[in-house]
This record gives sequence, C-alpha cells and structure tokens, in this order.
Amino acid sequence: MTALLETKGIWMRFGGLVANSDVSISVGRGEIVGLIGPNGAGKSTLFNLIAGVYTPTQGSIIFDGEDVTRLTAAERCVRGVGRTFQVVKSFETMTVIDNVIVGALIRTTVMREARRKAYEVLEFCGLAARANVLASQLIPSEKRRLEVARALATEPKLLLLDEVLTGLTPIEAQTGVELVRKARATGVTVLMVEHVMEIVMPLVDRAIVLDLGKVLVEGKPADVVRNPKVISAYLGDRHAVGA
Amino acid sequence: MTAETIIQSLASGLLMGLLYGLIAAGLALIFGLMDVVNFAHGEFLMIAMYATFFLFAFFAIDPLLSAPLVAAALFVFGAVVYLLIVRFAVRAKANAGMVQIFATFGLAIVMRGLAQYFFTPDYRSITHSWLGGKTLSLAGVFLPVPQLFGAMTAIAAFVVLYFFINRTDFGRALEATREDAGAVALVGIDKNRVFALGWGLGAALVGLAGAIMAIFFYVYPDVGASFALIAYVTVALGGFGSVFGAFAAGIIVGLVEATTALILPPSLKSVGIYAVYLLVVFIRPRGLFGSL
Amino acid sequence: MDQDFSQRRRRDLLVAAVLAGIAALVPLFVKDVYVQNIMVLTLMYAALSQSWNILSGYCGQISLGHALYFGLGAYTTALLFMKFGVLPWFGMLGGGLISAVIAMALGYPCFRLRGHYFVIATIVIAETALLLFQNWDWAGAALGIDIPVHGDSWLKFQFARSKLPYFYFALALACIAWLVTWWLEDSKWGYWWRAVKDNPDAAESLGVVVFNSKMGAAAVSAFLTAIGGSFYAQFVSYIDPESVMGFQFSLLMALPAVLGGVGTLWGPVLGAVILIPLTELTRSFIGGSGRGVDLIVYGTLIVAISLARPEGLVGLFSPRRKEIAR
Repeated sequence: MTALLETKGIWMRFGGLVANSDVSISVGRGEIVGLIGPNGAGKSTLFNLIAGVYTPTQGSIIFDGEDVTRLTAAERCVRGVGRTFQVVKSFETMTVIDNVIVGALIRTTVMREARRKAYEVLEFCGLAARANVLASQLIPSEKRRLEVARALATEPKLLLLDEVLTGLTPIEAQTGVELVRKARATGVTVLMVEHVMEIVMPLVDRAIVLDLGKVLVEGKPADVVRNPKVISAYLGDRHAVGA
Repeated sequence: MTAETIIQSLASGLLMGLLYGLIAAGLALIFGLMDVVNFAHGEFLMIAMYATFFLFAFFAIDPLLSAPLVAAALFVFGAVVYLLIVRFAVRAKANAGMVQIFATFGLAIVMRGLAQYFFTPDYRSITHSWLGGKTLSLAGVFLPVPQLFGAMTAIAAFVVLYFFINRTDFGRALEATREDAGAVALVGIDKNRVFALGWGLGAALVGLAGAIMAIFFYVYPDVGASFALIAYVTVALGGFGSVFGAFAAGIIVGLVEATTALILPPSLKSVGIYAVYLLVVFIRPRGLFGSL
Repeated sequence: MDQDFSQRRRRDLLVAAVLAGIAALVPLFVKDVYVQNIMVLTLMYAALSQSWNILSGYCGQISLGHALYFGLGAYTTALLFMKFGVLPWFGMLGGGLISAVIAMALGYPCFRLRGHYFVIATIVIAETALLLFQNWDWAGAALGIDIPVHGDSWLKFQFARSKLPYFYFALALACIAWLVTWWLEDSKWGYWWRAVKDNPDAAESLGVVVFNSKMGAAAVSAFLTAIGGSFYAQFVSYIDPESVMGFQFSLLMALPAVLGGVGTLWGPVLGAVILIPLTELTRSFIGGSGRGVDLIVYGTLIVAISLARPEGLVGLFSPRRKEIAR
C-alpha cells in the first residue's frame, strides 16, 4: 500500500531565506508521525506547505495518490487533510458546537446531520458539556481540544497537529495524548509537529527530525533520541531533550 | 489646453496636496498609535475653521495669529474626546471594529448638529485677512498666497513632527506605545496619557490646517464631510498609520485632483482621487507605504 | 440539546409571525398619514438593515457603501419605467439582479482588502457612482427623475391617495429580509459567513472557500438592498442621485443593525423600530427649525449605545443569549 502523504524534494524560499531544502518525507496510513526539531528548523513551514497555506517553490506533495501541490487549504480539506493551529484560531463569537459544525459542513449540507455529527465529535473530544458556551469563554486547553474537534469533524484521513501539546499542564497533556491515540484508533493518520521531544516520543510510531530546513534523521523514537546528530542539533536547547 | 494651464493647475494641485497631507497627518497619527480611525476628523477640521472665523469676526484676530491658538484649543479638544469617548470605545469586547467607527461617527453627527444649532447652516467666510485674495507670481505661475502659506505650514509641520517623533521623549513614548501598548505599561508609561496626548496632537494638526483653510474656504457645518473623505483616502493611500506616508499621499492626491479637473468636468474631480485609491489598494492592499 | 436549538428557531419564527400580524393590523387603527409614513420608513429600514447585516454583520465585511445598491435599485426601476415603459415589478427584479452582479464584480478586487482599507473602498466606490450619476445626463443628472403618478395602480405600483399599499409592501419586504436571514442563519452559508468573520484562516482550513462565501453574502445583500431602493423610488416617486445614493443612506442602513446588534437576527428590526421613529420625530418636532437638534439627539444616541452596549440592544431582550455571553 502506498503512503498516505508524501513530499517529494520540497524546497521553500522566502525571499533569500531557505526554510525547507529538499525535504522528502512520507507518512503511512494509520501512523502517528512526529515532526520535531529545534526552533527555526523549518517544521512550521513544512507543516503549512502540507496544509496548503503556502505553495512550495519546488517539489511536489502527494496526498492519497493525488498531486495536491497547487491546491488551496480548503481543497485539501475536502480531500481529507485536517489541521490545527499553533496559535489557536477559534471562532470566538460562535458557540463551541457551532465551531465544530463549520467543520462538519464540509461533508454534509443537511444541518440536522451536521449538528448531530458535531455533537458526536464533541463527545469524542470530551467537550460535550461545553457545547453551548461561546468559544471565547474556553480555557486554553479546551480551546486546543476544540481545534482538534473542529478538524476531526471534517472527517480527515490525515490530521495535522501543530504543537497541540505544548504549554499544557502534564495532566492536560496526558488527556491530549489519549485523544490523539483515540483518533488514530478510528483510522485517522496523524502528523504532529512538536518542539518538545519528551511529550511526543512516547506517542509517535516514528519521528522525523528537521534541522536547518533539512531532514536530519528519521526512525523509531527510541533510536532518534539517542542519535548523536539529534542531540547535537538540540544542544543549547537542553529543556527540549529529556526523554 | 496650454502648457501654462497645465503647470498652473499642477502648481495649485501641489499646494492643495500639501494641505491635504496636513489634514490627513493627524488621522494617520491617531491610527498608527491605536488602530482607530477617527470618523469625526472632518468635524475637527470644521470646528477649527469656525474657531478661526469667530476669532476674526469678534476680536479681529487675523487667522495667521489665531492659528496657534486654534491648534492649542484643538489639542485640548482632541485629548478630551479621547478621554470621554474613545477610551471607552476601544475597551469594547464585542464588535470592537464597529464600535469605534460608530462612536466617532456619532460624535461627528453631534458636532454637526451643534454647529447648526449655534452657528446656523449659513456659509461664512473671512472677508479680509492679511493673506486672503492675494496671489504671488512665480515665473509666470500665479500662486494664491493663502494656499502657498498653507503648503509651507504643512512642510514645516512635518519637519517639526519628524523631529518630535524621532528625537523627543514623548515621541519615543508614542512610538513605543504603538509598537506594544502592553509592554510600555510595564515600564511605567501610562498608556491612557500617551493616547490622550496622541489624540491632542492629531487634533492640533488638523486645527492648524483648519485655521489656514478658513482664510480661503467657506465655513459651514458640513464643511468637514468633503475633506474627511479625502483625508481617509489619503491616509489609506499612504498606508494606514504612516504619518509620512500620509504626507506623500497628500501630495499625490492634490496632483491627481488637479489633473482630473483638467480632463473631466470639475464636478468629477474627486473621481480621479477615488480611482487612484482603488487602483493602488487593488495592487498593494496595504497602501503605498504601509508595511503591517 | 438539539431540541433546544430547534425550539429556539421555531420560537423566533413564531414571534416574527405574531409581530408581523400585529404590524399588519396597526394601520386599521392608525389613520394618521404622518404616522403611517414613519411606519413605512421603519419597515423599509428594517429590511435594508437586515440586508446590510448579511454582508457586514454575519460575514464581517463592513460596508459603508450600500447606498450604491440602494441607488441602483431605485434608478433601474425608475429608468426602465420612464424610458422603456417596463413595469416597476420587473424593474425591481432587474435592479436586484444588476446590483447582485455589480456587488460580485466589485467584490472580486475588494474582498482582498482587509479592515479599514475595505471600508474606505466601499465608501469611495459609492461616492464615485454618486458623482457619475450626477453627471449622467440620460439618467437625469443631478436633477434626477420625476416619476409621474397617474392614480392608484398595483400594476404600476403607485398610489396617490393612500399610503396603505406601500405599508403592506414594506411589511412584506421586511418579513422577506427577516425570513431570508432566518433561513440562512441555520444553513451552510450562515455558518461559513460567521466563520469567515471570526477567523478566515481557520475557516479556510475547514474547507470554507472564503472568497466565495464573501461573494455569496455580497450578492444576497446587494439584491435585497436594491429591492429596497426600488420600493423607495416608487414610494417617493422622485429620485435624484443625492437622495438615493448619498452617504447618509449607507449609514442609515448600517445604524439599525449596529444599535440593535450586529450579526444577530433581531438586531436590525429592533434598531430600526427604535431609531427611525426617533429620527423622524426629532426631525419634525425639534428639527423643523433647521437648527440641528435632531442631529444632536441622534448622534448622542449613537455614541451612547455604541459605548454602553457594544453588542447591541438585543441582549436586553434575550436572557438566553445574555447567559451565553457570560
């Protein structure tokens, strides 16, 4: 079976700055893959290229057997790419359930159906009790979960998580980890960007380490953390190592 | 159309443009400081013109002498408007964008109403002032002295403003507050004080412009409306918040207006300005000098 | 939970039906032409503000140039009737369609603009249209068009003796604008618009085509606004550029929604019911002297409400929403 997502020789330049150079990665169906690396490694850029925020300067992105390089974020969402934002972007004047309905509407235009689906997703994410609260009233960890819920409501094949676990208390992070596992159990493939390795390593099947815009190492989490190249890339960034 | 007419209109367009720049400067300053568009800006201009007119009518003070007084009065007025209205408008949690638009717009309507009530809707003008009606011939081009004086004042005001923003403590506080209002609070700068002074300064600039315009323009309650739209376009053209962008854009607006008046019927002269604005923002959605 | 929601939707519909029914009975008791005139205007502005609310309230694209569509509606109807003898009913539809098309044509470049750049573009475009109409001789230039009234006729939609037919049409228009909003509010479009207003990037990531959403909102909003303009042309039977395309119309369309509650179903209605009678009454009782007291009252009200209740007055009437807001 082919990979769900493949990037082939991606280059991304912003003016003179090269954010990604020759990045080729692949994510298999049903995998949880961690995309890690020190600050400025080009993780966010790669993430946004996959989500469809930018178009790469060079190279192509294959999703589910289709070349999606030139498609917009909305078109990719239709094809099954769901994402969260590092800085949460809730629809603040809408209720929690309404936030999720926006996502559900991509699969159905029958409102009753979209609403039912949204409730299901909220229950799945443990937010059902907050359904009729305005999104602006949520606490930060709930907003993170709302982002995940919204993305799940679009019934993604690939869920892109942008630092959803960073900045949470250990208990909140644990709940987040369980949510990601649960999502995978329903058949969703997950690609998650995290800066802090110790949070993601126990969760992911495979880790890809970016450094200076290139793929540095990739492999099983246990091997990756012991890899001298990774350790030196993270040097001076001691808080992040751990594991 | 002869070369002389063209040069003549471009010259008056340039003078008018510098004045437009001065009118727009206060608006740009306030926007740059706190992301608020003052929709009563035209009415600030209007009361400055009335103040100049009445100082002349009752005390026979020539606009040249009253200009600093009017600017000072507007400074106080601007600061008070901030403290009484705008301060609360920017605090709104819901519909923040609309609240500030309509709060300042409501103020504009009140000011127009007050002007009608106290000053009647009549058109007034300063009949004889030191500069009024005089022209200066410069290499065959006739320049109206009041407009010329206005243009010089505008240039002088921008030079002063430049040094003020870049070289004084208050200017730096202003700059710092616009960058990050939260952080300046930590170093002990009172945000409200800076904003109030910013509003005062913005109003003083338009007060200065109003005093000069009273020399050669009719004064009536709705006079602000026509100039306000030009001021918004100027500020947006320059890139919101850039005071010096507004200055440059003012010159462009003046020249475009003069050129349009050469080609189209005079009643359509504003169409040229509007067309240039749309053209610029369609190509550069942040205006000519806007970064953001 | 789902029940609650459907119940609220049904209750809104019921309240609207009752209110419309009461409004329909009022002229049977109130025969005063002056008062009837105010009622017609109130209903018209409720409809117009409801239309404006679709683009600016729900979709968040603040337009201060809706006078353009109002004027286009008025002019299309009047010109088609005067020049080609086309009945106002067709003119009304034509004006609506033309406005919708123009709104989308203008939206194409304008929807790339954000914040104040967009607001100013809408003002500037409407002002340009105003100036062009003032100089367009075939359309009567600045003098405008006088629509001759030859007695009462539903066919020509003109009535010399009684204001009642205008009243019922305005009521129907207000009901239609409300119903369209009610229906759109719980549809894909309604959700997309609110998402676009709150956060376009997030909306895009959820499959919302932001640009198309704005275009859709602009078209519906312009269409309904133009119908209002057509109606106004028939109602006053005389139009000139300043009186149907002036900036004050753009404002008058926005204000009821802003005061009542931007992006809410009831905001425009509530705002119009408070604002329009107040404007008309102050104008005739204290403003008659031409001394601007009406403006003072009116402006003070705008400042006071925007500062005291930025979310609009609807919150006062809806305990449920207030609860959520907390």
